[in-house]
Amino acid sequence: MGSWLSRKSKFDDTSNTVYLMQMPRGTRVPSLSPFPLKLETYLRMAKISHKSILGFSLSSKGKIPWIRHRGKDVADSQFSIEYLNKEFGVDFNAHLTNEEKAVSRAFLKMVEENLFWVLVCYRWFFMDPKDFGFSKPIPWLWLAYIRRMTRGYAYGHGMGRHSEEEIFHIGKLDLQALSDYLGAKKFLFGDKPSETDCSVFGMLAQFVFSDTKSPYCALIKKEFPNLERYCHTMRDAFWPDWDDVLKKGSS
Amino acid sequence: MHCNCGNTKLLIAAAGAVAASAFILLKFCRKKKLTFNDDSNVVYLVQLPRGKRVPSISPFPLKLETYLRVAKIPYENVFSSQFSTKGKTPWIHHRGTDLGDSQFCIEYLNKQFNVDINAHLTKEQRGVARAFLKMVEENLYWVLACARWVFGSPSRAGFPSSMNSLVLYFIQRKVKQYAYAQGMARHSAKEVFHIGKLDYQALSDFLGDKKFLFGDKPCETDCGVFGMLAQVVFNQPDSPHYEVIKKEFPNLERFCWSMREAYWPDWDQVLEKA
Repeated sequence: MGSWLSRKSKFDDTSNTVYLMQMPRGTRVPSLSPFPLKLETYLRMAKISHKSILGFSLSSKGKIPWIRHRGKDVADSQFSIEYLNKEFGVDFNAHLTNEEKAVSRAFLKMVEENLFWVLVCYRWFFMDPKDFGFSKPIPWLWLAYIRRMTRGYAYGHGMGRHSEEEIFHIGKLDLQALSDYLGAKKFLFGDKPSETDCSVFGMLAQFVFSDTKSPYCALIKKEFPNLERYCHTMRDAFWPDWDDVLKKGSS
Repeated sequence: MHCNCGNTKLLIAAAGAVAASAFILLKFCRKKKLTFNDDSNVVYLVQLPRGKRVPSISPFPLKLETYLRVAKIPYENVFSSQFSTKGKTPWIHHRGTDLGDSQFCIEYLNKQFNVDINAHLTKEQRGVARAFLKMVEENLYWVLACARWVFGSPSRAGFPSSMNSLVLYFIQRKVKQYAYAQGMARHSAKEVFHIGKLDYQALSDFLGDKKFLFGDKPCETDCGVFGMLAQVVFNQPDSPHYEVIKKEFPNLERFCWSMREAYWPDWDQVLEKA
């Protein structure tokens, strides 16, 4: 965790820039965690001036990402978006009907509170560690520690109590739901992206661009190709510098 | 020479307290061997004893039992604190097969009994139904778990009599640990309430004037949503969650009554007598 002094020196609290604290870049995806990718995609969509600070500085809630803006720290990607919507007068859900906003909320939660744990269990319990898209291999001691911690978290959540096949089945049902709802549309709710698109992209990008050897990527390619198409649409629209970001390791 | 009378009395009192605790805990957790008739087609639903205000103080047994009633599948309740192989409740036993997790149970029963209460939904609606089910079971569930177990002291009001204070203490310890692992307990009580309110808003806006989520016939997700909202609407009348539903989302209360009247005409008879 960053010390108070080192945190202070990174920020200019007089500027309107939003500082986004996130993990170092992945080799195949700008963030190996869906939440920083969600938040950074939102910032790009909203054209909010921002600067990524790459590292492992955790928020007050012990997680990452978090933001700092004009001296105020906000933890949690969704609270960050709510804060930024107010500060910058942004509302990507303005074009949605009340019913669509409701559906948007439901999909946001399905992806962040269910599919997320499918991803976590796959990566930390079943995936070959060589397939992690980090720039350096994870030291085995760290790997063992993170696995142990994740087992506890996944068991507490519930997903960790299921078998590998059961978890895959749960993931498949979520992907099916997303694919059926998206259909032939460009974004979830039509031609304009909404807040939930940032989150869905943040999650699906993990499977489509990073975990390319996973059974989930194979499943998406075979049975839900519109989800892959959707990821490319979001990437082309909001990450034209994707390859540069990966190369340079910062935005 | 030291008098050890004080220490001895302390030791005896401590031993007594430990013995009493063990007795009370065992009384609740004693694993009586459950027996089933595997020749019959009846589904045995193993769940915690009845509540005093809701048939189950947990949303998942209430969801599963409501589904059994909607799908008209013959079942028999087995009230027990015995947990599934996954360490949770409810679970079912059918023709020699034990199965945990309410959603896996529904998928199994759909196949066994050739039932599909989602049949009237379009593909797109099924997608939305799945999303709402997960929102309620993986998000709202933790909001309510935190409200009940993490912030403040849990009340025994409405709980089965067999769940005494010591059992509640152990449940609270576990739930705090799990809710932190899941993430919800990292937020403040105010933030958690805000998260819950956004879920209620979504449910209310989607339901609108409809009788059930997708029209005049209930689907699987209606069972899940009912199981969850019933905890607030019928079991926690003094909570700020019920207050916000009554004030801002009255159609959610109306929905709960629709489900209760349609599928639980015997609601009052099944409850544990107060």
